[in-house]
Amino acid sequence: MTRRLGLILPILLIIGWEVVATIVNNPFFLPKLETVIPVLLSPFSDILGTGSLADNAIISVERVALGFALAAAVAIPLGIGMGRFSALNDFFDVTIEILRPVPPLAWVPLALAWFRIGIVSIVFIIFIGAVFPILLNTVDGVRGVKNTWIEVSSTLGASERQILTKVVLPGAAPTIWTGLRVGFGISWMCVVAAEILPGPTSGLGYLIMYAYNLGQINVIIAGIIVIGLIGLVIDLGFKAVEKRWFGWRGLER
Amino acid sequence: MKILRITAIACIALALMLVVITAGCTQSAGTSGNSTSAATSATAPNGTVGILETAGVYPMPSLLATSQIDGYIAWQPVVEAGVESNIGHVAVYSKDLPPAGEWSDHPQNVFVVRNDFYAQNPDFVNDFSALNLAATQYINTHPNETAAIDAEWLAGGQNLTYGNVSVSSVTVVSNSLPTIAFTNNPSDAWKASTGNFVQALINLGTVNGYVANSSNQDAVLYNFQPYTSATAIIASKNVPTPATIQNTVGVGYLNAVDHSALFVAVKDWQYFNDTYGITLKPEDPTKAKPDVADFIVNGQKVATVNLVPANAGPNLMQLAATNSIQMSYVGVPPAITAIDQGTPITIAYPIDNLGSGLVVANGAPAQDWQSFAAWAKARSDAGKPLVIAAPGKGSIQDVMIRAALQDSGITVTEVKV
Repeated sequence: MTRRLGLILPILLIIGWEVVATIVNNPFFLPKLETVIPVLLSPFSDILGTGSLADNAIISVERVALGFALAAAVAIPLGIGMGRFSALNDFFDVTIEILRPVPPLAWVPLALAWFRIGIVSIVFIIFIGAVFPILLNTVDGVRGVKNTWIEVSSTLGASERQILTKVVLPGAAPTIWTGLRVGFGISWMCVVAAEILPGPTSGLGYLIMYAYNLGQINVIIAGIIVIGLIGLVIDLGFKAVEKRWFGWRGLER
Repeated sequence: MKILRITAIACIALALMLVVITAGCTQSAGTSGNSTSAATSATAPNGTVGILETAGVYPMPSLLATSQIDGYIAWQPVVEAGVESNIGHVAVYSKDLPPAGEWSDHPQNVFVVRNDFYAQNPDFVNDFSALNLAATQYINTHPNETAAIDAEWLAGGQNLTYGNVSVSSVTVVSNSLPTIAFTNNPSDAWKASTGNFVQALINLGTVNGYVANSSNQDAVLYNFQPYTSATAIIASKNVPTPATIQNTVGVGYLNAVDHSALFVAVKDWQYFNDTYGITLKPEDPTKAKPDVADFIVNGQKVATVNLVPANAGPNLMQLAATNSIQMSYVGVPPAITAIDQGTPITIAYPIDNLGSGLVVANGAPAQDWQSFAAWAKARSDAGKPLVIAAPGKGSIQDVMIRAALQDSGITVTEVKV
């Protein structure tokens, strides 16, 4: 029942879209469904010389995966350290809080200057977007591990390494997973920002900007829909894992 | 029952949203009250016009189509795109803007080279320039092929859809080409025109460094040696084979009809190879926009060249400043500003002049500058001054439209959003 409830609003929105588009009759304001659907229905044919929707989507996903993996590789160990040792937390805290509100797009000129044109600068922008949610959630998750558990294992003679691997990590895992889920969402949002950089001639973000340059608003909307759908599918994947592995957290409450 | 109730509420909310949105959009929207609506006064007898600086030309057709501006001044193909999509018509092309004769050969895009790169690889740059000169000749003698190549590069040869109107990209380019003067000659007239433009930038305050403070601006801005050498190479048909370059060479460009020289050189590489012995052969010829090409002279590969597109000139100049690209096709304003800020590049020669246009909404009573100025005054009198979009403060189009308005006694105001 609840699954179907979630479908009602999208369907209403699509109907509403067609109604408004027909009444306003201005493709620059809102292209009609009939101009967007053909773009979506032929995801393997070239668009404006920039490649097909499918090809560009795959390229964007690859880039985001790379940036996201890098962010996780940096943020999780750092977060565990910061969560366990308050000195480390105090050391990094101010710097992180200064850097965190800066939107990834603001880093674009610097990224270009430091990392030149190419995949590195793109991955950097995505990394910047993803690293903070993962980091903060990891710190939070580690801090949130019940002290009782740590004390009990300590009493039973566990070493620091054993406490870390057998108590803290599994205990913090659900919150870390939430951080990863949020972080991926933000990485995926940074795709458009990252692909505005000079250099990339592929990717969904590039396709959207390029279509904008030529005033092809229907392609922009198709691109937006694809970005949304891919984000949805991946988020469902995260939720499925959460349900399978971390369902115990609900029981803890 | 609960699901019915939720659905009913959602429907009502959606319907309300639709009513509000539709009402807002179908009202006859004149330009909204962003500009200071100053009625014509004694200090502005011919009225005022607001200039809206957009970051580049790409938002302009949308803004005009949604009645947020009354017109825009831009470069190709955005001028032609506005016409083809039925959004508007061209009131006047840039060469006809007043002051009379001031812009009749105004510079638009140039080829710039990093000084260190030229010092280390003079033969390479001279040969590349010879290819540019040959490409410019090709554009002037093969307009149909050029239109097809440009359409392929810029839009995959596909149709551009604007609502119900679907127009071939070849048509859009074909109609753009005659408005542009493709030439590489840094003539005295060209230098004078560019000099006027530099002065305008100094007055605006956007140029205030090396160029502004130099006693010999020409020496700071230009190094025409590549042009001189290239002309000699083409005339004598004697092409020196440069030493092979190990590193990849970066060449920047914009996806604009003005930069056709690069597109034809790469797409019809066989022709240039056979005719001149110099060519840029794409490594993947199936791509609509190749990004890597081999620079081949007299049958020998000299270097791998990265073709790097950007959204705007300033991006290209930043890439040049960090040595990510060593040469670039770029608009004159970003080149001058970059040199002024100390970027170690010089302008080698123009790649095209003219090619900008003032597009106004369909039905606007402006068929030339006179009628446009009259319309500006009428709208000012009515308390709804015109808003014209220009691509960024200090751009050629921005400088031209301001000079033209001031020449007609119209006061220019800034529209801040």
